[in-house]
Amino acid sequence: MSAPASVFWQKNPALAWREIDDETIIISPNDSVMHELNDTGSFLWKNIDGRKSAAELAELLAENYEVAPDIALSDTQALLEEMASRKLLVTVPATRGVSP
Amino acid sequence: MSTPLANAGRSPRQQFELSIGGVPLRLEMTDAQLFGAASARYAAFAGAAAQPVTIALNEGAAPEGPPADFDYEFEGAALRVFSSEIRFDGVRHQYALDSLLRVLLSWKLLGHHGFLLHATTVIRNGKAYLFTGRSGAGKSTVASLSPEGSVLTDEISLLRRENGVWRAYGTPFWGEFRAAGSNTSAPVAGIFRLLQAAENRLEALRPLAILRALLPNVLFFSAEAQANRRLLEILSQAATEISGYNLAFRKNSAFWEVLPA
Repeated sequence: MSAPASVFWQKNPALAWREIDDETIIISPNDSVMHELNDTGSFLWKNIDGRKSAAELAELLAENYEVAPDIALSDTQALLEEMASRKLLVTVPATRGVSP
Repeated sequence: MSTPLANAGRSPRQQFELSIGGVPLRLEMTDAQLFGAASARYAAFAGAAAQPVTIALNEGAAPEGPPADFDYEFEGAALRVFSSEIRFDGVRHQYALDSLLRVLLSWKLLGHHGFLLHATTVIRNGKAYLFTGRSGAGKSTVASLSPEGSVLTDEISLLRRENGVWRAYGTPFWGEFRAAGSNTSAPVAGIFRLLQAAENRLEALRPLAILRALLPNVLFFSAEAQANRRLLEILSQAATEISGYNLAFRKNSAFWEVLPA
């Protein structure tokens, strides 16, 4: 199920993470599970700060990787949903207007 | 280093001071049998520097009170760390004491830029070689193939970064080889992930791969996010600064020939 557009994405505060060799290792202390993010996932992870929507994150991705905006948006949404399903991310209500 | 303490009306509390990986500890207890077992078990690690961390062993359940900064339970025994004291409650045998000590040490080492690792450590030419890997990969075999006196530990190694140098320490925590552990340390030559193979071969690893090799073998018992962030920071630094390798291992002593000097 997709998150509504009017949410910001935030890292799960219960996690520990570290970037090494351009990849991100994330530890979930409650279940001792280790997650790894590739280059694109690490880029998104770095920019996820609880103050950006999927569209804003996709915009950054498009600029950084020179990807067409529609592809960047669908990739971003897929990655965010994947990370949310692993409980790496949570959503918070957007506190300002967000473009759909 | 044992001293009976005055404790009117009850069995005297006795104390035993030890130092593991440079972390000074003092155990205080009234159970004479447990005291005897602990004194024998940790004899090689007896003695502590100034201001050891005092651990009060209490036979009963922990009293009600404010939540501990860190706690852990093991088979009816409980470790509780408060700002004013550290308690081990309900410890009835050496095995429980040993387990709680490992847990406490893993937590205390965060403040000493260190961590505990399931690994055999062997000293060769003044340097520490750490062998880690899955159960059955050959950690005990490496210990059994090494010269007497060169095995720092065949079960749990302790690593600390001191003055910019990673050092490996022995611990008193036994493995299959039942080496008592040696209370010495040496600068780390490398970390070797053992993989059973038909021939001995070495492959250098990038820091990310070293971190991947370390993580499943690190002993850590806190689910608290801040503690885990600190641990990951320490491990990442270790993975970046220590040379790490996959060691295809035929389970014979010829493996030393492929290791870096």
